[in-house]
Amino acid sequence: MSESEAIFRSAEMSMIQLYIPNEIARESIYSLGSLGLVEFRDLNKNVNQFQRTFVDEIRQLDNVERQYRFLIKLMEENGITPPETLAEDYEASHKNALTTSQLDEIIANAQILEERVTQLADASETLLKKQIYLKQYQQVLSTSDRYFSSDVSKDLNELNENENNNSSDPIETPSSSSSSSNFITGVIPRDKIAILEKILWRVLRGNLLFKTFEIEKQMYDKKAKEYVNKNTFVIFSHGEMILERIRKICESLDADIYFVESDSKLRRNQQVQINDKLTDVTNVLETTNLTLQTELRVISSEIDDWIKCVKLEKSVFVTMNKCHYDLNRKCLIGEGWVPTDELLNIQTTLEDCSNQLSSNVSSNVPIIMNVVNTTKTPPTYHKTNKFTDAFQSMCDSYGIATYREVNAALPTAATFPFLFAIMFGDLGHGFIMFLAALCLVLNEKSIGRMKRDEIFDMAYSGRYILLLMGLFSMYTGFLYNDVFSISMSLFKSGWEWPSDFKEGDNIEAYKVGTYIIGLDPAWHGAENTLLFANSYKMKLSILMGFIHMSYSYMFSLVNAIHFKSMINIVGNFIPGFIFMHGIFGYLAVCIVYKWCVDWVAIDKPAPSLLNMLINMFLAPGSVDEQLYPGQATVQVFLLIAALICVPCLLLIKPLWFRHQLKQKSIALPTDDVENDDNNLLSNLDIVDDEEHEEETFGDIMIHQVIHTIEFCLNCVSHTASYLRLWALSLAHAQLSQVLWSMTIGSSFYFKGFGGSLFVFIMFGMWFVLTVCILVVMEGTSAMLHALRLHWVESMSKFFEGEGVPYTPYSFTSLLNEPAE
Amino acid sequence: MSGYTVLGVMIVTIIIGSTFWKFAPKQDQTVWRSTVSLSLAMMFLMWAFTYLCQLHPLVAPRRSDMRPE
Repeated sequence: MSESEAIFRSAEMSMIQLYIPNEIARESIYSLGSLGLVEFRDLNKNVNQFQRTFVDEIRQLDNVERQYRFLIKLMEENGITPPETLAEDYEASHKNALTTSQLDEIIANAQILEERVTQLADASETLLKKQIYLKQYQQVLSTSDRYFSSDVSKDLNELNENENNNSSDPIETPSSSSSSSNFITGVIPRDKIAILEKILWRVLRGNLLFKTFEIEKQMYDKKAKEYVNKNTFVIFSHGEMILERIRKICESLDADIYFVESDSKLRRNQQVQINDKLTDVTNVLETTNLTLQTELRVISSEIDDWIKCVKLEKSVFVTMNKCHYDLNRKCLIGEGWVPTDELLNIQTTLEDCSNQLSSNVSSNVPIIMNVVNTTKTPPTYHKTNKFTDAFQSMCDSYGIATYREVNAALPTAATFPFLFAIMFGDLGHGFIMFLAALCLVLNEKSIGRMKRDEIFDMAYSGRYILLLMGLFSMYTGFLYNDVFSISMSLFKSGWEWPSDFKEGDNIEAYKVGTYIIGLDPAWHGAENTLLFANSYKMKLSILMGFIHMSYSYMFSLVNAIHFKSMINIVGNFIPGFIFMHGIFGYLAVCIVYKWCVDWVAIDKPAPSLLNMLINMFLAPGSVDEQLYPGQATVQVFLLIAALICVPCLLLIKPLWFRHQLKQKSIALPTDDVENDDNNLLSNLDIVDDEEHEEETFGDIMIHQVIHTIEFCLNCVSHTASYLRLWALSLAHAQLSQVLWSMTIGSSFYFKGFGGSLFVFIMFGMWFVLTVCILVVMEGTSAMLHALRLHWVESMSKFFEGEGVPYTPYSFTSLLNEPAE
Repeated sequence: MSGYTVLGVMIVTIIIGSTFWKFAPKQDQTVWRSTVSLSLAMMFLMWAFTYLCQLHPLVAPRRSDMRPE
């Protein structure tokens, strides 16, 4: 097995230290980022984020990012969507880091842009406000014009008369001013009219005249910041105090009050004036908006690149902050994990980088890289391709494999789709799924460049899982002899029906052979199909389940051999193996054996295997119905072996550990701290985050007790858990049969044109329901069950899952991660 | 037609599996080998169990909706 593949086990990792001269630090970190293979360790764990070396630069770039976000927000408001470049394309075109002057230019540019755009936006807003004011004024004028000129003006006259009557009072002001101030005009949002009217009515006790007109066009509302329906209103009342009060009420309800001349000539003048102003303001506003839009459009074509650029430059500084900054040596010291295979690759990249850059600097500045020996546990890194990626992430979401342990995702790639297929077995449904997945696979390049929503993205990333699930479902469906619940007769049936019987007789077929591949079509439509199918599918799921678990359990042996831990073989694997195979392996063998014996020919009753297993525990040594000679002895032996294994499983490992501990305490404690000469950082006080705690006997004992109980109980419950394969496949077959007979199946009874139309409609219904319910819904549920069988039943047999994922500093993952 | 068919098919499966194991594509060899041999094994098992359970059946299909020809 070639090691460089790193899919069976995670890749071997090495810890490296990098000494990068200050002058080319940014550039070399950038080139490492585009390489994407180094996971930098944080060497400044005890330094506050705000006290690190490159905080100012990060802050500056943060500000630039904020400015870009502001610009994008403005673009959205103006209906401009900036085009996005794909991360891969961007990366391909930006291989080198920016120079310091370029970076400063970007920062300065962002500042200038922000100022300019803010100015324009502010100006446009002020103008908009002015425009709205004028528009509303115009509306008020025109409506009040209509109002005054119409018959209602009589009211005004009457009011004026009243006023004039009152003018006999000595306090009376000149009538012109009083006539202008005995009404209030304004604009108010339409939904507030009723409130306004009610309030005024109550406050003035009905002593007013209130008129409103709807404005046809929607007007901008400053408070709601959107266009709303508005009304103009005219309120007549008298008395300065009362008018003042009305004005206040109106203002509190967000009405805008406008002064309107009561004299029609003056009003005409007013109108002309307002119209002129409005034209001016509208012109200026249009020009401003146009300038703003042009500006934004120009920016929008490039802003995505800028954002990506700044993001990457910022990440360089963040990474540099993780490194140790040596002021005396004028260099940056970084430490990180890399796959051992890639050491050469990194070395050459760094050399290229230093050669390329040292031509600019007077002296040659080499980057030193050395590999450090360490006791720290490396991160887990599985090299995946487009096929294994989805399976890997499926297993990773359960737990990250311990460094160098067997990767659960590799067998999952075959077993997951197959266990799914046992539950989903139907040639037709499998074919639909296969076609859908094939579409995704064949167009993966173009779909990969598309923007995908969440659910579609899930289907896309799992396209190879779907493809295999479809393929295997077709195979199991073929074996179940189900095509949309109809059976096929491809081979010669093993059953023959008697030729001589009366209609309505209950007849039984007689056996002439065995159907060669799959289930005999003679069972289709028979009365006792379920009896046979249940027995078949139940035994099938127990057998497949046991083999799946047994296969997974072997990986614990592979792990123990790889980690050279003899004690795990002797104390865990062997007793567990005997226990599991002594009971359930025996059951599996018995199932196959029972199938192989022709019970009818030898004229013996076929023993019930369930009773046999129960009696094996409850009445050891006695056999009710014999399966094979010597059965009692074998069963007693197996039972005793399994029972002996329990204390072995419980005690061997802890006792051995106690023995080890004693020996250790006898032997002189040697100081086995290896001082690595290579490690220049060893004299630096770097706090190690990983603590290695010595395990005591008590810990191991408790751990082993839990493991023993769990293992023995799980053997039973996990075997039973595989019965879900039976249950789901039966449910699937029955459901598709019901769907067939309820839709198309029943439509064949009708004849004539109406009949064919009915068949046509029923076919559509059947097809839609098949896809929605049987393929999508049932498929999802079967998939969840298959997932559970892998996570719980299979992975618990060998998987430790104590690893840390490998997260290299890589531009690709940085650019692809969703924005906050 | 007997239980020996199963053994025969098993041998054929093993031969196919080991041939593929030997001539698996060099690119992503581990994935190819593991996936193909596991699939072959499971497909064989599934077929074998289906075949075996019909080898000596204890029940025969029964129906009453047949019409004599």
